[in-house]
Amino acid sequence: MPAFLLIVITLVAFYFAYKFYSRYLAEKVYRLDPNFVTPAHAMRDGVDFVPTHKHVLLGHHFTSVAGAAPIVGPAIAVYWGWLPALTWVILGTIFAAGVHDFGSIVVSARNRGQNIGTLSGKVVSARASTLFLLIIFFLLTLVNAVFGVVMAILFEKNPGAVVPALIVIPIAVFIGQWAYRMGRSIVIPSILGLLLLYAAIPVGQAYPIYVDGLAEAVGLSVRTTWIILIFAYTWIASRLPVWVLLQPRDYINGQQLIVALAVIFLGVLIGWDTISAPAVNEVAPNSPHWFPYLFITVACGAISGFHSLVASGTTSKQLGNETEARFVGYGGALGEGALALAAILACTAGLGAAGDWNAAYADFGAASGGALGHFVTGTGHFLSNLGIPATLGATFAAVVVITFAGTTMDTGVRLQRYILEEIAELAGVKALVGRVNLLTTLAVLIPLGLALLPGGDSSGGKGFAFGRLWTLFGTTNQLTAGLALSIIGVWLLARNRNPLAALIPLVFLLFMTTWALLLNLGDFFAKGDWLLLVMDAAIFVLAAWLVVEAFTAFNRERRNPSAAAEES
Amino acid sequence: MSSASVVDPAVRGRLAGGRVHQVILVREQDAQHSGSGCCGRLGERHTALGGAADFSHSRARMEQVGEIYRALAAAVPDLELTVVDPRNLVWLYPAVWRAARAHGAGVFTALRAVARAGAPVAVVVDGNTLYSGRLPDTQTVMAAVLARVQQPSPARPTADAQRQP
Repeated sequence: MPAFLLIVITLVAFYFAYKFYSRYLAEKVYRLDPNFVTPAHAMRDGVDFVPTHKHVLLGHHFTSVAGAAPIVGPAIAVYWGWLPALTWVILGTIFAAGVHDFGSIVVSARNRGQNIGTLSGKVVSARASTLFLLIIFFLLTLVNAVFGVVMAILFEKNPGAVVPALIVIPIAVFIGQWAYRMGRSIVIPSILGLLLLYAAIPVGQAYPIYVDGLAEAVGLSVRTTWIILIFAYTWIASRLPVWVLLQPRDYINGQQLIVALAVIFLGVLIGWDTISAPAVNEVAPNSPHWFPYLFITVACGAISGFHSLVASGTTSKQLGNETEARFVGYGGALGEGALALAAILACTAGLGAAGDWNAAYADFGAASGGALGHFVTGTGHFLSNLGIPATLGATFAAVVVITFAGTTMDTGVRLQRYILEEIAELAGVKALVGRVNLLTTLAVLIPLGLALLPGGDSSGGKGFAFGRLWTLFGTTNQLTAGLALSIIGVWLLARNRNPLAALIPLVFLLFMTTWALLLNLGDFFAKGDWLLLVMDAAIFVLAAWLVVEAFTAFNRERRNPSAAAEES
Repeated sequence: MSSASVVDPAVRGRLAGGRVHQVILVREQDAQHSGSGCCGRLGERHTALGGAADFSHSRARMEQVGEIYRALAAAVPDLELTVVDPRNLVWLYPAVWRAARAHGAGVFTALRAVARAGAPVAVVVDGNTLYSGRLPDTQTVMAAVLARVQQPSPARPTADAQRQP
């Protein structure tokens, strides 16, 4: 099948979903009111509450949610074949992500722009906000672990990407000094920085960097050595003021996102590649079954709970007219679905044209451990359709993913530091409060331990443990989505509206997540993976807790409808 | 607000032909943006996770731009006021380009306006980037914006205007 046809099918589905289903949500479910005074007007201050044109807001919303996660999940999920992966991306985006992102904006806007954490305590129950914090703790731990492994795998497989990935650091530091210390415009330096980064790609190809010698000297595997180096870098990066490295890198990342999306879709259009990967793959024995694992492997790109943080954190505060929540929320979800589509195309059509797809996806270990390598190779092929050598194109794609993953880890470790300090305060462990270096070390060591957990690097380089870590990450992301959908459902029920649009994806997600967690429990126990077993059990408890909270809140509202949330 | 008194009531933020003046206030939000996906939004002030301290410099700019926003909204109610993060480049760059060209700027002037608008903080009036990178005090910015708004614009005639007899 021509890859181009998948783009057409997906875009047509998204078009009709936007035209009909999002209209149904807007008119019948959320009942958007063009006369409702949004928080952006009611509390207009020009700082946080600013009525903003819907096109500006969509740009803000989309660039805030886009990251590396919608690439990793689909790149693993095509192991079960492109058809299940694409079907979940399309249906998940239309019936779950669209409802979730759109609804999060509406409920937050109807509650003075309050964020989803506060709303969980207000709309579901007081305990739910604690649940929210705990889910975030686990999610950040897993985010940092999986992206540490992602970067290590990419450096190991693409030693030519090390030089350009390193070049980004001085470029970003220079841009930071130029913009924040000298007070200059950032456009020209960031474009020059991007060009310099791309110019470093052939240099990196000519001078690949290997750490084999170091690994041998310290008696570790290459991947473990890279993981430790990456976490050491993250410790330092997360201790720097954000304007030195993190913020300036945003500009380069933003440009990279646009360039990468453009070249992938352009490469597909020009190359007219066909998909040689099977529609439904006959997977190796002992592989995880697609049902339920597909639905937690692809979180971002089908539905991501963390979008509710963006939707309720800033987007709802800038909503000029309530009716525009449809364009921004539902439209943003479709944009994220398009990113996932790009990843599927790269790992099926691109990878298939560049090499042996069946060998690359021989088993789940190869599929998950090599997922980003497959994306990189596939994207390299699409770039070759544009006349750029495939090896250079592959390094380009590796650099895109590495810079995104590096930014994610820098942010994730900072956030984990805040959460650890909060937990220390709550637990009365005063020795930790205010000890930034110690907190940062803990925030690094916890995910580092997970990344290096027994079995993590001893699977013959296949990275089987990475796939399991990734699916655990997916469960926490889906639990966050479940919490947001519970809030939306209870809010709808309190207004005597049909809550099925939120309830169906909520039940589906909770069912798939708890089922996958249960299967994992048995698997981890059988294999003696005790650390993963404890993590999985803890997340399972959170999932069960969420089920109880959601059920209680729905029952309460069904029996005694109240204005579960005061409207501004 | 003292600045309001300097505005000619006849201007009221409108150009000849009824079009409104467009002011874009550029400032970074106090949170991580591109590349970290949704996780970056956890560090915001609103999430009660303590992240705002890291972004205090951005917060200070947000507060100043907020002050300018409120003053302008009060002084010239008809202005088309937009507050945007410079990392929202998909919207910002084309918007400044279009505005500059619509107000008669040549290609190089328009490109320069775009290049200057992409800064941690900037003020753009009708496609003309008045400040980039640093802002003087609010009163100075207000005076410059109001002077620009009251200045006759060399705007190209719109299609509607061209159809006028």
